[in-house]
Amino acid sequence: MRKLLLIMGFIMSLSFLNAQKLTITGKVTDLSGAAIAGATIKEKGTSNGTTAANDGSFTITVSEGAFLVISAIGFTEQEFEAKSGLNAVLQAENKLLDEVVVTALGIKRNKNSLPYAAQQVNGEDVSRIRTGNAAAALSGKVSGLEIRQGNSIGGSTNIVIRGSKSLTGNNQALFVVDGVPVDNTINNSSNQQRGAGGYDYGNAAADINPDDIETINVLKGAAATALYGSRAANGVVMITTKTAKRGLGITVNSGVTIGTIDKSTFPKYQKEYGAGYETVYQKDGFFYFDVDGDGEKDLVVPTSEDASFGAKFNPDLMVYHWDAFDPASPNYKKARPWVAAQNSPETFYETGVSTNNSIMLDAAGDKTTVKLGYTRNDETGVLPNSRVTKNIVNFGLSYKVTQRLTASASVNYSKIDGKGRYGTGYSGLNVNQSFRQWYQTNVDLQEQKEAYFRNLQNVTWNWKDPSTEVGTVPIYFDNYYWTRYKNFETDTRTRTFGNVSLNYKVTDWLSLLGRVSVDNYTELQEERRAVGSQGVAFYSRFDRTYNETNFDLIANFDKNITEDLNLKALAGVNLRKNALSSVYAATNGGLVVADLYAISNSLGTVSAPTEAYQPKRVDGYFGGLTLGYRNYLTLDATIRRDRSSTLPENNNAYNYYAVSGSWLFSTHLKNASWLSSGKIRLNYATVGNDAPWGSVKDAYDFINPFGGALLYSLPGTQNNSALLPEKTKSKEIGLELAFFKSRLGFDATYYITNTVNQIIPVAVSTATGYSSKYLNAGEVQNKGIELSMYGTPVKTRDFSWTVNVNWTRNRNMVVALYDTSKNLQLATSQGGVSINASLGQPYGTIQGRAINTLNGQPLVNDNGTYSTTSTTTNVIGNVNPKWIGGIYNTFRYKNLSLGFLIDVRKGGELFSLDMFYEQYTGILPESAGLNDLGNPKRNSLEDGGGVILPGVTADGKPNTVRIATNTYSIPVSEYIYDAGYVKLRELTLTYSFPAAMIAKTKVFKGIDLSFIGRNLWIIHKNMKYSDPEETLSAGNVQGIQSGAYPTTRYFGCNLKLKF
Amino acid sequence: MKHFKILFPILVLAACTKDISSYNEQTKKPANVPAATLFSNAVRNISDGLANASVNVNVFRFTVKHWAMATYQDEAQYDFTVRAIPDAWWARMYRDVLNDLDESSRLIEASSTLDEDVKANQLAQSDLMQVFTYSILVNTFGNVPYSQALDNSILFPTYDDAAAIYSDLLARVTSDISRLNPSAAGFSSTQDLVCQGNINKWIAFANSLKIRLAMTIADVDNSAAKAAVESSAGNAISSADENAMITYLDASPNTNPLYADIVLGGRNDYLAAEDLMNQLINKTDPRKTKYFGPNNDGGYAGGVVGKVNTASEMSKPSSIVSAANAPYLFLDYSETEFYLAEAIERGYNVGGTAASHYANAIKASIRYWGGTEDEANSYLARTDVNYATATGNWKQKIGLQKWIALYNRPYEAWTELRRFDYPVLSLPVGAVSGFPNRLTYPANEQQTNGGSYTQAAAAIGGDKVETKLFWDVN
Repeated sequence: MRKLLLIMGFIMSLSFLNAQKLTITGKVTDLSGAAIAGATIKEKGTSNGTTAANDGSFTITVSEGAFLVISAIGFTEQEFEAKSGLNAVLQAENKLLDEVVVTALGIKRNKNSLPYAAQQVNGEDVSRIRTGNAAAALSGKVSGLEIRQGNSIGGSTNIVIRGSKSLTGNNQALFVVDGVPVDNTINNSSNQQRGAGGYDYGNAAADINPDDIETINVLKGAAATALYGSRAANGVVMITTKTAKRGLGITVNSGVTIGTIDKSTFPKYQKEYGAGYETVYQKDGFFYFDVDGDGEKDLVVPTSEDASFGAKFNPDLMVYHWDAFDPASPNYKKARPWVAAQNSPETFYETGVSTNNSIMLDAAGDKTTVKLGYTRNDETGVLPNSRVTKNIVNFGLSYKVTQRLTASASVNYSKIDGKGRYGTGYSGLNVNQSFRQWYQTNVDLQEQKEAYFRNLQNVTWNWKDPSTEVGTVPIYFDNYYWTRYKNFETDTRTRTFGNVSLNYKVTDWLSLLGRVSVDNYTELQEERRAVGSQGVAFYSRFDRTYNETNFDLIANFDKNITEDLNLKALAGVNLRKNALSSVYAATNGGLVVADLYAISNSLGTVSAPTEAYQPKRVDGYFGGLTLGYRNYLTLDATIRRDRSSTLPENNNAYNYYAVSGSWLFSTHLKNASWLSSGKIRLNYATVGNDAPWGSVKDAYDFINPFGGALLYSLPGTQNNSALLPEKTKSKEIGLELAFFKSRLGFDATYYITNTVNQIIPVAVSTATGYSSKYLNAGEVQNKGIELSMYGTPVKTRDFSWTVNVNWTRNRNMVVALYDTSKNLQLATSQGGVSINASLGQPYGTIQGRAINTLNGQPLVNDNGTYSTTSTTTNVIGNVNPKWIGGIYNTFRYKNLSLGFLIDVRKGGELFSLDMFYEQYTGILPESAGLNDLGNPKRNSLEDGGGVILPGVTADGKPNTVRIATNTYSIPVSEYIYDAGYVKLRELTLTYSFPAAMIAKTKVFKGIDLSFIGRNLWIIHKNMKYSDPEETLSAGNVQGIQSGAYPTTRYFGCNLKLKF
Repeated sequence: MKHFKILFPILVLAACTKDISSYNEQTKKPANVPAATLFSNAVRNISDGLANASVNVNVFRFTVKHWAMATYQDEAQYDFTVRAIPDAWWARMYRDVLNDLDESSRLIEASSTLDEDVKANQLAQSDLMQVFTYSILVNTFGNVPYSQALDNSILFPTYDDAAAIYSDLLARVTSDISRLNPSAAGFSSTQDLVCQGNINKWIAFANSLKIRLAMTIADVDNSAAKAAVESSAGNAISSADENAMITYLDASPNTNPLYADIVLGGRNDYLAAEDLMNQLINKTDPRKTKYFGPNNDGGYAGGVVGKVNTASEMSKPSSIVSAANAPYLFLDYSETEFYLAEAIERGYNVGGTAASHYANAIKASIRYWGGTEDEANSYLARTDVNYATATGNWKQKIGLQKWIALYNRPYEAWTELRRFDYPVLSLPVGAVSGFPNRLTYPANEQQTNGGSYTQAAAAIGGDKVETKLFWDVN
């Protein structure tokens, strides 16, 4: 009893002492005893802090009994008891194995014990570049992850992990934010995706605030994701948002970025010949009629001809150009010299400016943590009249109701407004359709600009028939400024997602989580074509609402069964309800009142709007078990049962499971000091999947009535009430090693994934009355190698150099289709080109017409043209890259750090409709110039012009027949290009103001000033005049360039203030 | 034990399951529709295909040299593959027409409320449109899936012999004629886009269709053709009032497809071909100004098929052709009279003379296009038109006039051009093949139905456009 009193007295005296301030000194070193200069020393829970001197020493005045939080770049942050003479030894950061990673369902695990591939990226790594799109910023930073993004403003990002698995379904990775699945559906129309025009409205992953991201963990294989259910079969991008640290923290980011086009990705124009498909027309390649009213016929540029195979330029020749028919033009009824344009379409592109401002506020007390963030992004594009504005607010709160019960809630609200997104594909609303395919080299773009702005009228160079009043209208192409300022789209997407949860710690080994999460967005897309444009004026609106609710109840169990054996287990239920609802309405036959965009302004009777309502429910039950033996052996098993409403009622439930194991073998090799850690892991998993909505029962399609006659039709795809769930089987083996105190390490994975029994609309003979029928058929195999490597080649007190390398090689194969069906067409493009899943080929073959060959040589007909296949089903390309990779280098010198990312894509092919049509129109310099005889190739054959197509004739001898340049066509197979590239994707130079200086301000905790560049330089590419990465949209249809946009290079600076 | 309390809510949630299949119900599309709606939709789809001038749908106007193109020459030069025209044509016939007709027949057959006579009429109407459509398929490709087509259980049907299909089609028309009962109704006047509910007109259409089918095979099976033509000649379409046609509406989207293409689409590059235009000009044909509008100078001129032409110098399709409510003729009086003229020449007993039927046919065509009786008579009085004095044998005389009369019905003109081999048209500039006697099978068939495709290609003598069809022997 006396003893007890003594102890109590001691404790009381301690607490008495607590109130006193004392000054302590200490030193910060690494394991070898070397001083860590510039280390930050902070009193825990306060803003009191200092930095270590060059010899690592520091002095700080703290409250008695306080703790010090000491951190330094390249070292793990650590807490120490504040006592004088403290020698704080910091551990070097071991990026590979010491990390705590967040796994499925938000369970935090030590990476040491993780039996499957998961790669974590810090929020800083995706927000640093200030793109506003966290998904796009992952490019090159994670192995196994293929990111593809086009150059459109606010466009969608293709995010595929370990290759495309589903033949016709979704192949995009699932996004999960703080345990809540966030819909990332690509909502672009199928016509937009295949290049038939439309806008890229982006995908919803862009609604996530990059500044709120603490970490992104990419779970690549089915073993890691099986608990998330079917949707996770394509891998999961798991985002954990920031949680408040103790005390109050405010971070402000403010930056501005400008964008200009990379001219190496835009065409050059020949300057020798002008408008026309030939050099005849009415006179010498010109139209010939009286323009100025003097009774004499005049030479007129053939304005209706959207090509440049016409008359040779001649500055002495006076001709009437398009502006001679524009009464507002100073050149009205005046002839001008016949010369090439001064200003090419390149000058149409402007400098885009984007500003990015965000404020994040977080605070934490004993019981409550709260955070509030607001981000605003304003971006104007490189096309006139284009803008995307993004506002994101996020809020998070957690409250410890009791020691055991924590309640938390988070909500993320975003509003994205677009105006004048870039038109895409083969459409007059895409200015590049004309710039790259159908253009007259005599048209001066700046003169077109002046012509439009003079009266805001549709003054085109492309008059239908300038000899008549009624013909002085556009035949194919509007004035480009008219297109941008009159025929623009507008869109808005408002989204709210978040959750409320209760976590109850029943005992120290059992906890219970109940959570309701909601994701809801509404979208409005309005498209218009003004009265006075080429084509029928219209207005359309597409309203879409998506909502999803998840109810989760999860019990977590964590107990050491014996001293050596730890058991973790979980059991849970997930009820998911989601519904997509949409209405599309459009005017019909034109607009009554110009510039009024309302459905009721339709000239003709409005057709019935197209409605869709697709509700879905999935009930999932799951359980998991993790056995850990002495921290080096881990065995994982999970099982899940889903019941999905999209499957036939009698076959709507399915089970799947995963088994994984890992062995941290380095624990047995303590003598090998060069080996910091080593782990081998192995797993097998299956994931079931359900059917697309509405593929079970048949229904008729509504067709607009024909007068009084009502019309219905059978749909093109036959449904199937005998569908079974589909399944993905995945095997994976991985090795993780770290050497030399973790200065060097890598993570290698080999995987094989087979997706079998797929539910696909099998292409059948259309003589059945259907194009396709839903069947369980088809198998796709993906196998590949993923490699992540990091190293710190140089590390001194003031200077460090770190390298991160990611490399992925995926091989993809369509192993089976159905019966005699050997091909599944995913999309068709112009020019008889299609993108397909072909049996025995990688997913995504490009098919089209090819040149017949003889002994491996192109076969040439007797008349000098290529002998081409009559079929368009020849495989002429494959969209899959051979490998992709990224190298990220960071150099740090004192407070200055320089980082750059080189992003590499090796191989993969694409079809360029732009280059294909260019051969018809003679825009590029290659279509002019000299032939092998040294004569202008466009000269007539009599004058020594023409070209000899390389190849052999039927007798096997080299072709010697010369043909005129505008009279032959070369099949699409010759317009397949290597889509590989090496890009300097990111460059950041950041100066962090010294901690000592900051401390003096007493206001700031940190000030960082960064200079940022994105897509600055395409170091290497094999495709002229275009960006090989440019794509129409995210989705399964890749490998078509049609009206491609040039790369936008971004430069900017950002100021980050921490309070 | 107390921890079982925790598991309890999980079990409750797990237990609160109900039937979830209702989530997969179509709530925006019907599972049941009236049979007539499918019939009407099929009729409209076949008409849209035949009337169309879109280069993705129907390019036969260039093939038969009625039209030329100003700028883009691929289709005029017989390139059918780049735009997958065989796929589009085949899919339209089977998927967009025959499947809806077949479904319509199935629903009529299954109806327990329909009057038996009405049912018989509707089944005959639906069947006649199926026969009409199958004949297009055979005349376009040769052997095609028939006995195994439109069968839910057969995803990759075999192809039937074209001649065998033809004889079955003839048998079906004969049976349809016997089923049609004018004293009962068929499809209602609003749903019947062909004859507005007039069963007598259907009977005339059926008999003319039978004559068409029979005449098509006359060169290979004269006796069957003779019997069929003679049995139907008396009941076939006997005046313009009985023309089987669809009349498009003034308002989109139900206008004639040419209106959408030319007027709404603002196309300026469809031109008269010199081949047809020269015939119209040289014979001062009253249909010249009905078929085409003038060029910029107010004159009439045709372009060269396959070559770049200056649009302002050339005649373009007339405003009659591109009118929103312009009709499409499935089968008309003029065509029937041409068949009868031919029948006389082939020695069939159908009454009248070849010359009288020939004159009736031409006069009916001129009158249909808005020419006057006088204009028709003076045209017929020309020595180069009059049956007695025009040059050439009966095939050449009828062939030429039928080719002129079948303007704006490009598929029919193509079929008749192949049958008569007259007028002789030179290949277009830059032709990528010989004259197309058929279209190649769709790429989709090659890729999904490879075995049947290979057999069929061998059976018809090779899957090439130059391969002649079974009836194309003389």
